[in-house]
Amino acid sequence: METVTGRKAVLELRGLTRRFGGLTAVDRFDVHVNEGEIVSLVGPNGAGKTTVFNLISGVLKPTAGSAKLLGRELTGLPAHRITHHGIARTFQNIRVFPQLTVRENILIGTHHWTRSGLLGSVTFWPPTMRAERAAQAEVHSAIDLFRERLEARLDDPAFSLSYANRRRTEMARALAARPKLLLLDEPAAGMNPYERIEVAGLIRAMRDRGLTIFLIEHHMPLVMEISDRVVVMDHGVKIAEGLPKEVHSNPRVVEAYLGRRAASA
Amino acid sequence: MSAQPATLDTETSHPLKRLWDAGPAGWNNALTKPSVLVPFFIVAALIPFALQYVEDNSSWTGTQFWTFLLANCAMYACLAVALNLVVGYAGLLNLGFIAFFGIGSYAYALVASNQIHQHFPFWAALLVVILVTLAFALLVGIPALRLRGDYLAIVTLGFGLIMNDLILNLDRPPVLAGHQFGPSGLNLTGGTNGLHNVAPFPLPTSLPLLGEIPHSRMYYWIFLGALALSIYGILRWRHSRTGRAWVAIRDDELAARAMGVNTFKYRLLAFCISAVMAGIFGMIDAAFVFNAYPDNFAVQQTVTVFIMVILGGLGSLPGAILGAIAFTVPPYLMQQLVSYKYLIVAVALIAVMVLRPEGLLGTVSIRPRKTMGGTVELLTAESTIEATELPAVTDTEVADLEAQSGAIVEDPEWKP
Amino acid sequence: MDYFLQNFPQQLLNGLEIGSLYALIALGYTLIYGILELLNFAHGDVFMVGGFLAAGAAALFVHNEVAVIPAALIVTLMAVAAMGGAGMLGVGIERVAYRPLRNANRLAPLITAIGVSLFLQSAMQVWVSPAPVLVPSNALVPQTVLHAAGIETPLTGLTLFVVAVALMIGLDLFVFRTRFGSAMRATAQDREAATFMGIDVDRVIMVTFFIASALAGMGGLLFGLRYATVDFFMGYLLGIKAFTAAVIGGIGNLRGAMIGGLMLGILESLVGGFISTQFQDTFVFLALIVVLLVRPQGLFGQPLTDRA
Repeated sequence: METVTGRKAVLELRGLTRRFGGLTAVDRFDVHVNEGEIVSLVGPNGAGKTTVFNLISGVLKPTAGSAKLLGRELTGLPAHRITHHGIARTFQNIRVFPQLTVRENILIGTHHWTRSGLLGSVTFWPPTMRAERAAQAEVHSAIDLFRERLEARLDDPAFSLSYANRRRTEMARALAARPKLLLLDEPAAGMNPYERIEVAGLIRAMRDRGLTIFLIEHHMPLVMEISDRVVVMDHGVKIAEGLPKEVHSNPRVVEAYLGRRAASA
Repeated sequence: MSAQPATLDTETSHPLKRLWDAGPAGWNNALTKPSVLVPFFIVAALIPFALQYVEDNSSWTGTQFWTFLLANCAMYACLAVALNLVVGYAGLLNLGFIAFFGIGSYAYALVASNQIHQHFPFWAALLVVILVTLAFALLVGIPALRLRGDYLAIVTLGFGLIMNDLILNLDRPPVLAGHQFGPSGLNLTGGTNGLHNVAPFPLPTSLPLLGEIPHSRMYYWIFLGALALSIYGILRWRHSRTGRAWVAIRDDELAARAMGVNTFKYRLLAFCISAVMAGIFGMIDAAFVFNAYPDNFAVQQTVTVFIMVILGGLGSLPGAILGAIAFTVPPYLMQQLVSYKYLIVAVALIAVMVLRPEGLLGTVSIRPRKTMGGTVELLTAESTIEATELPAVTDTEVADLEAQSGAIVEDPEWKP
Repeated sequence: MDYFLQNFPQQLLNGLEIGSLYALIALGYTLIYGILELLNFAHGDVFMVGGFLAAGAAALFVHNEVAVIPAALIVTLMAVAAMGGAGMLGVGIERVAYRPLRNANRLAPLITAIGVSLFLQSAMQVWVSPAPVLVPSNALVPQTVLHAAGIETPLTGLTLFVVAVALMIGLDLFVFRTRFGSAMRATAQDREAATFMGIDVDRVIMVTFFIASALAGMGGLLFGLRYATVDFFMGYLLGIKAFTAAVIGGIGNLRGAMIGGLMLGILESLVGGFISTQFQDTFVFLALIVVLLVRPQGLFGQPLTDRA
């Protein structure tokens, strides 16, 4: 589907709605993210941003509306199929697999595009061995962006990692899934200014690699710096959308944040 | 798993201390290296010879007894390893686990005895056992795995009870509502007596160099071999795509799904593999004791294997073996305590669960903990989704609601 | 068909009788599940212990089939022993085996409960009696058999039904009409919020266990008087059936447990009477599995949260 700028829409959300009993967490949410864009989803706490991510990635089923990835309808598909179609995500409160090593965590990213038979792993069956080698190779390209940090820790169990390294592992894992669309949920949470600079650079580098990025973030300066577009949510509803500068001075947005300080550095 | 200190560079500390610090995960890694396992199995295989030597050179006559005990021990170790796969790896409380052992033993007995006048050659019998056990595993697993963890436990328990009943009652054709299903005289399961005169495996009873091989010793070696194969398979899987998926599912099911792992398929896989393993062990047992007994289906047996796995520690292969030894050897040695056996098993289970659910070498914690965000649950549960995916009802939302009703609420987000 | 019509009323009555027992025990399962989300495997065995306590009390005062003090007094003492003893046993179990795991995930106490169940059975088997113990029912209650319209029922059976129903009504009133009852319901709905409301959750849980276990103990007494025998294994099978009843009614739902119990009793009786006594139990287990697969929330339970 072509947009005004001529770029393909990678993600299209139309009328996406999710209710929990009497509470409407997401209300007729429309958004599209074009190829190669970095779009940020912002809003006060509890606005429903993570719920939108959960709806897209299949963790939750929408009460109404649709989500399409490159024209393919995602709603109703199980989460693991959605990943297979080209979406990878990170989580607000980092979810790496504690008992797996960094390498194995990243290898999980490759799970959906490798094939291995049960007996194949036990009997050294060649196609299985080849798939395993391809996956291992992918690990190296996935940690490319974090080489100095993660390489030394590849065989350490994830529970022993520092917070920042766990973030990097989670991102590398998402990259290893070779997604078309990357959903980043608060990638800079809990980071100091230096680390945030690194995150900004990482996000741009990933975009340059061909990914489309949709992210949730609270740290406004970071959002302003890297986003092509910003979408603002409050109480489940989209209240503004546009270029970072436009949104920043939008009175409705200011009101939504009035009296509340955005999560600080 | 209780938070381990981040591994620091410890070039200076003693290797044994480093091993101790590495915690259960480290101990398991160390104990499952080939350099440990291979000697272990070699030594284990040689024990009967040592026993024989002692017997030949003294007045001691315990070889027969001890070899039989060892064979049983090895069998329970096999069962514990299989149960560990389904409970420790896949996180499924299969309370009907022992039923698959029983199914395997009866399936083999039916094709290797005079019950229905079939005598299949060994490989055909093995195939039958695998197929029958797999069929039952799919029959139970596919519907049951869609349920929440505790309901799954109940369904598998119910399955075990039904199998127990059927085995006891199918020594005659069933009569339902006055209609007889099957020819009179049809006796499939031997009822409370079980099936007798089961043929052992067609193996030589003596080998060059080794001489005569007593029956118990042969089957001890067979069970040992089965144990070695099982451990080999599980270790290979652990380091493959399948094993990674299993650990990922166990660690954080939600994240696993988000990364493209079909959790249902992998759980079913673990369920079926452990069931088929149990079935094969049942087959070996039937050949070993020449009989298939209804007791093979008793729930107390499942509980016994459970305590072995839990004492040894969930997720730990060496732990499963230790647990098996702990609950096979002492009961046999203390024959006067045999009536207390289940009492001791029960007390041990309660004690371990209350005091140290991780057991000796366990790497899977039953206590919930928030490691790196995300509550890690041992077992499958929609509740993972419940808990984390409800929108965080923040204080500000509560504030809004209460503001509508006129109450004054302090808005924690507000800053002057 | 005639056979069916002739025997249906009798089977129905039998079913109601045994069903009321199932309902009594199912209530205990449902009470505990409602408040702790725990499937207390050991509950059936608490019923069994209650039966043994009643038998023991009876043995003290009945020698050679003769009651040495008025029968009514003995039965009262048996009731005190059964209900009080079982109640305290339940409280003790909760304190020792379940409370330490209260905040662990749902499945940890389940495993422990299996251990407790096995413990109770083995303890009775080893320390009291591996063989069934007789209850001198004919010395304590009239053994008359009532006949009416072609159906018959022993007085003890009718008593079982009446007492069970009375207890259930009493429980219903307690839970829905008293202050403590609402504390119980609050704790069942949201334990954390209940603490914020000033409810002593530990105490509520303790009392719930006491009540549930006392009811089961009473069931043991009624069973002992009706069938004149108790054995260490009786709790296991009956427990599973009562649990099935609780599931059918919707686990966590009190009225569901009562109706589920009666329904299961009738189902079992009809199956036993008209299809097969041999496979009676098998049908009950099948019913359990089918309900869990097809409608896990039972008749009156809340639908479970939707899965992704």
